[in-house]
Amino acid sequence: MKPDVRLQLDARSAHQASVPCAVRVRGIRKIFDELEAIRDVSLDVANGEFISLLGPSGCGKSTLLMMIAGLEFPTSGEVTLADTPVTGPRRDVGVVFQNPVLLPWRSVLDNVLFPIELLRLPVEEYRARAMELLRMVKLQEFAGALPRQLSGGMRQRASICRALIHDPAILLMDEPFSALDAITRDDMAVELLRIWQATRKTVIFVTHSIREAAFLSDRVLTMGRRPATIVDEIHIDLPRPRNIAMTEEDSFNRYVRHLRKSIEASHEG
Amino acid sequence: MKDKQPSFLDAARWPIAFIVLLLLAWEGAVRYLGIRSIVLPPPSEIAVVMATRYDLLLTHLWPSLYLTIAGFALSVVGGILVAVLITYSDIMRRGLYPVIVVSQIIPKISIAPLFIVWFGTGTVSSLLLAFLIGFFPMTINSAMGFQSIDEEIHKMARTFMASRWQVFWKIRLPTALPHIFSGMKISVTLAIIGVIVSEFVASQEGIGYLIKLAGGLLDTPLMMAAIAVLSLSGLVLYWIIELAERRAIYWQSTAGSLAETGG
Ligand SMILES: Nc1ncnc2c1ncn2[C@@H]1O[C@H](COP(=O)(O)OP(=O)(O)OP(=O)(O)O)[C@@H](O)[C@H]1O
Ligand SMILES: [Mg+2]
Repeated sequence: MKPDVRLQLDARSAHQASVPCAVRVRGIRKIFDELEAIRDVSLDVANGEFISLLGPSGCGKSTLLMMIAGLEFPTSGEVTLADTPVTGPRRDVGVVFQNPVLLPWRSVLDNVLFPIELLRLPVEEYRARAMELLRMVKLQEFAGALPRQLSGGMRQRASICRALIHDPAILLMDEPFSALDAITRDDMAVELLRIWQATRKTVIFVTHSIREAAFLSDRVLTMGRRPATIVDEIHIDLPRPRNIAMTEEDSFNRYVRHLRKSIEASHEG
Repeated sequence: MKDKQPSFLDAARWPIAFIVLLLLAWEGAVRYLGIRSIVLPPPSEIAVVMATRYDLLLTHLWPSLYLTIAGFALSVVGGILVAVLITYSDIMRRGLYPVIVVSQIIPKISIAPLFIVWFGTGTVSSLLLAFLIGFFPMTINSAMGFQSIDEEIHKMARTFMASRWQVFWKIRLPTALPHIFSGMKISVTLAIIGVIVSEFVASQEGIGYLIKLAGGLLDTPLMMAAIAVLSLSGLVLYWIIELAERRAIYWQSTAGSLAETGG
């Protein structure tokens, strides 16, 4: 299998499978020892869709994401990706964590290529693609740098490249920008949309920022306090491509208000 | 990156100045107070002995040095191997590891005469004692290093279906390197002690033997020259490890970041 150097072509490969549902979660329940973290969560994510999971801290968002990634297993219920049940980590998934978790002894480029090594794919053939990804996030000049020479935002962009290097159809992101300052955070959101526009991955984005969820997503699912359930689903029908200026507009702020109400309602319940 | 680190010699400038001052004070005090050289020879006399009797000193230094390095190498290899066992085997971690930690309390030096009984007065006893006392800190440090793997990095690697083998070579080992090197620094000094003590107890050669011999002859300048040669060798061994450490752990330097802001 030859890696695809031109990122635009990823869009086709993601759609080639032509599965209507990229991610399907059915009646998931998760109990840690005594603690019921998640109760009866179901959701469907279409191919190429960008959805956000929005909810208060500790409600079980990470747990849900890790079950989709195949790192945790539900107590009952089922997760299927591209019509096959999840039994463990898989190749068609890329995960971006809250922290960049780069290996400090590897250069940025070698960090981006790390999954290729782990998946036992030919590293040499993916080098050009890795450079292309780094160019996309404006890190090409830092390919040879060590992670500690980068700022927090640059590290997180490198970790997004790492999640995309093996061209997964599904991108899972667990509060990827929450460790960044507000300005960098806005930049990263715009950047992420640009990447998504270019690659058309299916994205599940976990956040507790209402504005971030509204700005990025096609659809926002709000979750209530533990045990987590999905309390509301809001379609964000703002035009794309989106830019930061849109967050000043009334249409955007109406969504933000709506989402805030939905979250507050779940707190009272 | 490398050039920003202060070199060993740069860092050593002040300690060396301090030592020179101390030697001068020693020299002055011995001369001024008229202390006999059998009690405390002045540094100049020790230096003269080192210069004139260097062949005797070197003849006895080589066997000690050779055994120290061999014993140290054994304790590094053995320590890392046992640490891997402890890391990957539940039984070893719960059974062996606490035993190793607790056995730190035993002064291993006290076993030296027992080794002479078992293995004779030759090189085997010295080698084994050097190995044994270097082995424990090596094992404990390496085991700590292998287990200090960052849970988030581990989780990230698992999302890419990393095998245990890959996790070991690509994550655990580099993570453990700083710990392994601190273990090596402790072990190398202990290995020297092991060899010298073993030579004190029973041996016909080695720096430990020479120190004992000179003591018996009340030749204090020779004894102190031997101690000085031994200390210098220890310093050089330590320095070699430090140098290797700086090369191996290149990612932990104090150099500043290329960019302070995410542009
Ligand atoms: N391995 C585990 N063992 C026991 N309890 C756990 C475990 N992992 C998570 N939990 C519990 O499950 C609940 C949900 O945790 P989770 O990390 O999914 O929350 P979250 O929504 O991601 O929170 P945050 O927004 O702060 O990241 C928490 O109460 C947590 O204490
Ligand atoms: Mg979380």
